[in-house]
Amino acid sequence: MNTSVKKLVTAVSASVAMLGAGQAAAEIKVGIAGPMTGPVAQYGDMQFSGARMAIERINQNGGVMGEQLEAVEVDDVCDPKQAVTVANRLVNDGVRFVVGHLCSSSTQPASDIYEDEGILMITPASTSPDITDRGYELVFRTIGLDSMQGPVAGAYLAGVNPERVAVVHDKQQYGEGIASAVRDTLEEAGVEVAMFEGITAGDKDFSSLITKLKQADVDYVYYGGYHPELGLILRQARQADLDATFMGPEGVGNKDINTIAGEASEGLLVTLPPSFDEKAENQALVQAFADKGEDPSGPFVLTSYTAVQLVADGIEQAQSTDPFDVAAALRQGSFDTPIGTVQYDDKGDMKAFEFVVYEWHSDGSKTPVN
Amino acid sequence: MQDLLYFFQQLINGLTIGSAYALIAIGYTMVYGIIGMINFAHGEIYMIGAYTALITITGLASLGVAWLPLVLLVALICAMLVSSSMGWAVERVAYRPVRGRHRLIPLISAIGMSIFLQNYVHLAQGSRNIGFPALIEGGFTFGPADSFQTSISYMQITIFITTLICMTALSLFISRSRTGRACRAVSQDLGMANLLGIDTNRIISATFIIGAALAAVAGLLLGMYYGSIDPLFGFIAGLKAFTAAVLGGIGSIPGAMLGGLILGVSESMTSGYLSGEYKDVVSFGLLILILLFKPTGLLGKPEVEKI
Repeated sequence: MNTSVKKLVTAVSASVAMLGAGQAAAEIKVGIAGPMTGPVAQYGDMQFSGARMAIERINQNGGVMGEQLEAVEVDDVCDPKQAVTVANRLVNDGVRFVVGHLCSSSTQPASDIYEDEGILMITPASTSPDITDRGYELVFRTIGLDSMQGPVAGAYLAGVNPERVAVVHDKQQYGEGIASAVRDTLEEAGVEVAMFEGITAGDKDFSSLITKLKQADVDYVYYGGYHPELGLILRQARQADLDATFMGPEGVGNKDINTIAGEASEGLLVTLPPSFDEKAENQALVQAFADKGEDPSGPFVLTSYTAVQLVADGIEQAQSTDPFDVAAALRQGSFDTPIGTVQYDDKGDMKAFEFVVYEWHSDGSKTPVN
Repeated sequence: MQDLLYFFQQLINGLTIGSAYALIAIGYTMVYGIIGMINFAHGEIYMIGAYTALITITGLASLGVAWLPLVLLVALICAMLVSSSMGWAVERVAYRPVRGRHRLIPLISAIGMSIFLQNYVHLAQGSRNIGFPALIEGGFTFGPADSFQTSISYMQITIFITTLICMTALSLFISRSRTGRACRAVSQDLGMANLLGIDTNRIISATFIIGAALAAVAGLLLGMYYGSIDPLFGFIAGLKAFTAAVLGGIGSIPGAMLGGLILGVSESMTSGYLSGEYKDVVSFGLLILILLFKPTGLLGKPEVEKI
């Protein structure tokens, strides 16, 4: 649908809404930017589902400062180049608040544009420390950092007294960032890191890597990256009789790894944010997702919900739709959200965010370890 | 002993992947040999072959057909049929109308076709990775039980043998059959072959069909070997196979085989002894070196029969 048609549709639906409500409904546009297609689209599904739900519920409760929120959804395919393109499109559409992006490598270049154009961005999923490390005023997140997740994984691995650990990553910002944090934590704890090596994202054949892991006789392998590669590594490792336990970050913890790896995904260790959907105070919200036939258990559903809610709360608090005022309000306030109480430091990171180690099962379920 | 076993394991890994590259490389090299164009949509034909094979296997499983040789045979035939008709159609739709123009035109047309096919599969099959059932499991292991063992799986053996059969059949076809002779004639001089009564359009179509059929074989084999497929699956494999074709000498069939094996082994040795990060650096560095000293590739001879 081209933009003029979209505008027409929006205009028509807006006028219908005006007739119905009998009052002028101005709109605050909220951009939702993430992968709708591409290899990590299932994370995008989580993001869009959470954000849409938040917008729906906020609008049902009378909107923000009497104005309705309007979602502007764009697809960045989790590709840095595409992320820049869609970021510019959001700028042109007059969007002033963005929930996104998902992959750190997309969030980073897009956030440059948002900061320059005075747009507030809250990423519900990007965990790279670099994103908030550049002194930007308008960049926030509703998720922890690799620098938090890596040490959790590293400390867990060090705690099980492994003989030798291999750390593998996909050479991307997210994967290599976490992998380095894990390696550093392990080395500080005095565990031997037998291998620290990159693979190429998109590769399909890992037989050489697996041979090498076998030769190094490792008992634990940490993989920093996403599920398409780890799924294949798990499967090919099982076929080659590699006897090691694998561990990965939240980027590998979704049901698609079961389709790829099958039985080989049993026993995989994953660090994930705690299951917010199991908290007692979120049950009404979980029910709302269930009524729509959606699953709120994915790691980014409620963080995306929270990101939208923070935009709304920030606007209310600041009594202004100016992104700079909203950013100031977010830094000062303390917000009660489905992922707990959110407080921001000066960089735009949450003051506290917890990661938990889970054991993954081949049917897609998970159980907390210890 | 340990080191030797490790070396053999990496060699086996490399040869497996190399023979599959070679199967795909044939499609590039034959088309180049005949009409001097690079068919960039070939990687997508291979990807479509893998998808067709997976759909057939899933379909047969839901019908309750479980006898492995039958499943594989039917999947192979379906994949070859669909890929071949795809290869034929691509040539008719995208290359024949622009044949004989400036050589950049069919090249751009090929890139367009590649993007089209990739996005078509994105839309039709979804963009996620789909798991491919491991139908052939198990293998042989060598070496002491308490330390590093070299293993060669039945799947790897299947890949070697199938490649060998396909290559032998293709060589015989090119050297013995009537169509093969016509292929050689067309590759030497298209205009002259036409004058002498060879239906060159038919021969060119045949080349695309043969290349696509071999790519479909590779699609089925590698789908099973890797364990998952996605719509971008053909892009990297296509790039590697194209490199193999150029390395061995584009236009030469034994060259494609040699190029594929060299590429596969150099990749696995680099991963095994240096680091996986340098895999592509070494492979493409090797390509540059060979092209510097032998611009026609290892077995490519200019002005001699190119197929």
